[in-house]
Amino acid sequence: MQRLSKKELLALHQKSYAMRTDILKMMRFGEGHIGGAFSSLDIITVLYNKILRHDPRKPKWEDRDRFILSAGHKCLALYAVLADQGYFDKEILWTYNTLDTRVPMHPDEKVLPGIEFPTGSLGHGLPVANGMALAGKLDQKDYRVFVVLGDGECAEGSIWEAVMAASHHKLDNVTAIVDRNGLQVNGRTADIMDTSPFEKKFEAFGWAVKTINGHDFNAIYQTLRNVPFEKEKPSAVIADTIKCKGLDFAEDQFDYHHWHCEPEKIDEAIVCVDRKKREEGANIG
Amino acid sequence: MDNQNTVYENPRKIIADALVDLGRQDERVVYVSCDSSLGAAGGPFNQTFPKRHFEFGIQEQNAMGEAAGLAASGKISFIAAYVPFAAFRCFEQIRDDVCKTRLNVNIMGNNCGFSVGPLGPTHVVVEDVGVIGSVPNITILSPADGPQYREAVFKAAQLDGPVYLRVHRQKARRIYEDDYRLTIGKGDLLLEGSDVTVVAASTMVANALDAARMLKTKGIGAEVINMATLKPIDSQLILASSAKTKKVVTVEEHSTVNGLGSAVANVLATQGPALLKKIGIDDHFAVVGEWAQLIDYYGLTPEKIAQSIENFLNT
Repeated sequence: MQRLSKKELLALHQKSYAMRTDILKMMRFGEGHIGGAFSSLDIITVLYNKILRHDPRKPKWEDRDRFILSAGHKCLALYAVLADQGYFDKEILWTYNTLDTRVPMHPDEKVLPGIEFPTGSLGHGLPVANGMALAGKLDQKDYRVFVVLGDGECAEGSIWEAVMAASHHKLDNVTAIVDRNGLQVNGRTADIMDTSPFEKKFEAFGWAVKTINGHDFNAIYQTLRNVPFEKEKPSAVIADTIKCKGLDFAEDQFDYHHWHCEPEKIDEAIVCVDRKKREEGANIG
Repeated sequence: MDNQNTVYENPRKIIADALVDLGRQDERVVYVSCDSSLGAAGGPFNQTFPKRHFEFGIQEQNAMGEAAGLAASGKISFIAAYVPFAAFRCFEQIRDDVCKTRLNVNIMGNNCGFSVGPLGPTHVVVEDVGVIGSVPNITILSPADGPQYREAVFKAAQLDGPVYLRVHRQKARRIYEDDYRLTIGKGDLLLEGSDVTVVAASTMVANALDAARMLKTKGIGAEVINMATLKPIDSQLILASSAKTKKVVTVEEHSTVNGLGSAVANVLATQGPALLKKIGIDDHFAVVGEWAQLIDYYGLTPEKIAQSIENFLNT
């Protein structure tokens, strides 16, 4: 199975931590959903750098693979990745939390290139992704549709309607990645509404399922480049992640689902992320 | 008032034929059904273009999202379900995925008003215009007869944005000729008069015309407007007519809260002085009964409309 080279791994690692710093800089003006952004960032980074067929100069290219962030509140991660990919001027990032910004706390396709579909209310992304996949099949196009779902989000009934429909319609051009960080606004997902076991649920609904470490670039890459796992079945990737990954004092704590931060705390966080980047970077390869 | 030339047509049959013709003209048209593929106006389309028909069973939230995803990928989506499931169950999908994005999704709310009166308050909805009308970007059509229903299908597909099309189960009496052309956003002045303006939609257009004829025998000249586009409302036509008559009556098989009457009230209150009477269903869940029984119960027969108008003019 093809693996990423040490050089590629290091590049992704550097990129993901540089983007964590960018996200913290965006947060300087107030608040944001940093927990889910940091838990899903590595997945979205691999998608845009290694998996998706896309062209930042042509965001509406007909044959592009589609990416929908169903858990729209994690969009700090998407903004950082899209800016890094060159979809828009990075300066736009620094308008986060300001009046009439193009990078609001939930993504808006009308104001920012690269946003495939506006999300924010949970449970909407997978149905829309299915619709795009149906259109692709109808038009005999080979584009694929990738969706990132939150594990807490999967308490929404509309997600399971869409899970049922995707397999009913044999949408093997759909891949759903569950960012299983185990936390939501008010605590542990297992305590608030236990959405587990994802693997058995998706399998029972007719999907092909794989479980990975959502911070292991090689695992993300190898898994996503092999979709669909089975012909005529949609693919589910259950990614075990750490909420607020990369920021030691906030990792795996639900208080950082949505962080109202003080500016001086941001400086501390940037130092913390830098340290983590060095520590992890030394172990790569 | 019927004579030997009076024609009644089934709106669902009209829509079914229109969808097939539209589908032949434009291969982007797709039909999304929620266990409604046989009856609700989509059957012939689905048989003619099976690859362009997508069935979702009883899951309207997902179906609405999928209709949006199809439209976001260049399709012209038509989606149909009973009014409460088409308009309410998936309301947030309509708001976020269809209206905010301004996609070409055409939502057919089947069996509007008292269409299915015996099914009771879960299925009899008289609040849909208010609920859907509160969302930006969507157009609401409530046609009165066969040619207008057919036109509504074609014009909805042409419009680059979402449409909510109210479809009644009751056979509709012919008002227009075959070559009728609908302009979205424009009401039709059907009958001129100088004493009172009567604004109606859907089934109530025929009843308003009959009421006007009854009033004429009493020397009252009623001007009748068919307001098939409930949103955006044709304020110009309302203002022009009410400037002449100074008195306006709205007639709707819908709640008087946030329906046609309220839309007309908004125009009159801010732009033109005229007294307004709203005839419709007061703010409550309708009683159970057959369509004709309910129309009578709520004062929506031609005779009762005429009487209400006469009383209004005498106050």
